[in-house]
Amino acid sequence: MELTTPRVATLRRDLDQATRDAETADVALAASGDGRAFERLYRSHVARIHSLAQRMTGEDHADDLTQDVFVRAWSKLSTFRGEAAFGTWLHRLAVNVILARRTTLGTERGRYDDSENVLDGVASRPHTAELSLDFEAAIERLPDGARQVFVLHDIEGYRHEEIADLLGIVPGTSKSQLHHARMALRRHLE
Amino acid sequence: MSDTWTNRLSEYLDGELPESERATLEAHLRACADCRATLEQLRRVVARAQALDDTPPTTDLWPAIARHVGVVSLDARRARRRLSFTVPQLAAAAVALTLLSAGSAWLLLRRPAGARPSQSTTTPSPILTNVGTYEANPRYAAAVASLERVLAQGRSRLDTATVRVIEKNLGIIDRAIRDAQSALAADPANSYLNLHLAQEMRRKLELLRQAAALAGART
Repeated sequence: MELTTPRVATLRRDLDQATRDAETADVALAASGDGRAFERLYRSHVARIHSLAQRMTGEDHADDLTQDVFVRAWSKLSTFRGEAAFGTWLHRLAVNVILARRTTLGTERGRYDDSENVLDGVASRPHTAELSLDFEAAIERLPDGARQVFVLHDIEGYRHEEIADLLGIVPGTSKSQLHHARMALRRHLE
Repeated sequence: MSDTWTNRLSEYLDGELPESERATLEAHLRACADCRATLEQLRRVVARAQALDDTPPTTDLWPAIARHVGVVSLDARRARRRLSFTVPQLAAAAVALTLLSAGSAWLLLRRPAGARPSQSTTTPSPILTNVGTYEANPRYAAAVASLERVLAQGRSRLDTATVRVIEKNLGIIDRAIRDAQSALAADPANSYLNLHLAQEMRRKLELLRQAAALAGART
């Protein structure tokens, strides 16, 4: 039987839906203690969670935090009610785990100086090929506050009100930090 | 470059400026080339941020996570068993396991009630527990229905022998599920029967998933 384009599109859409449903079933299986189902979930989502952890805290802590997120997810699977996609639920959990560690990490790295001077330091680095930072590295060099707001808003799509709630600041501060971060990153676009 | 409007450019870009300020800023932008250039740079920063790729960790973190949560890694199992199977082979293996498992259940049910292992005398599996989650879970039912639909639509792209084996074996697994459910109705606390039912339901899901993926992959 020859397949028409709409039939192929329908089949692919159904396969996508089946994949989502299979993930939902994996969540149910994992919540019942099925390690293989949980490993499938891990493999589907680890890249996004690890990238989030790396951008929020830096490369040195990303592996530890990613492990923490999945260990925490395993223990909290029974609380997942399916109102949102599993990936959304996991991402929220990851943000909470990462932010809970930020005080310790910030103190260890001495990176709580969110002053204009620090931001200027990121922005005014020389433009030679040797010294030019790539965009990811430039994000990592931002001060903690500006970096967290930038990652949550511009990469992860959170709103200022949500960010303010997560970080314990007011929305106006979140807007200001975001603008400073963007201004600092302008020179690392190439 | 910095003027009174520079610090408002991000809010403008994000559509968060009040209407009156937005109109004033737009008038300013028409006259200020520096602000226009900065706005364009900010726009590119946002676009770049949204286009960043996610990358997995350079080392596999799963073994450490598996140790923490007390489960066995798939990689560890694969290292012990480097074999691959076709869908019919998997289906046949599933049915063999089903028959073996169903046979054990049948023998178990033929024994006097007092001699059956019960919740108090059988060690629960560390991997499969709380079978009620499978049986009553609408997500499981939705996943099975969805995979069955994909398989039905894609079955014309599987050869007939494969389809026949898959359908026959799904039928056997379904019968095993029904038998286990009937047995559990009479002995709900029996942990062996709970385990058996959960295994059959999971086996069905895995067989459907692989068969649907095979059917979908041949579009």
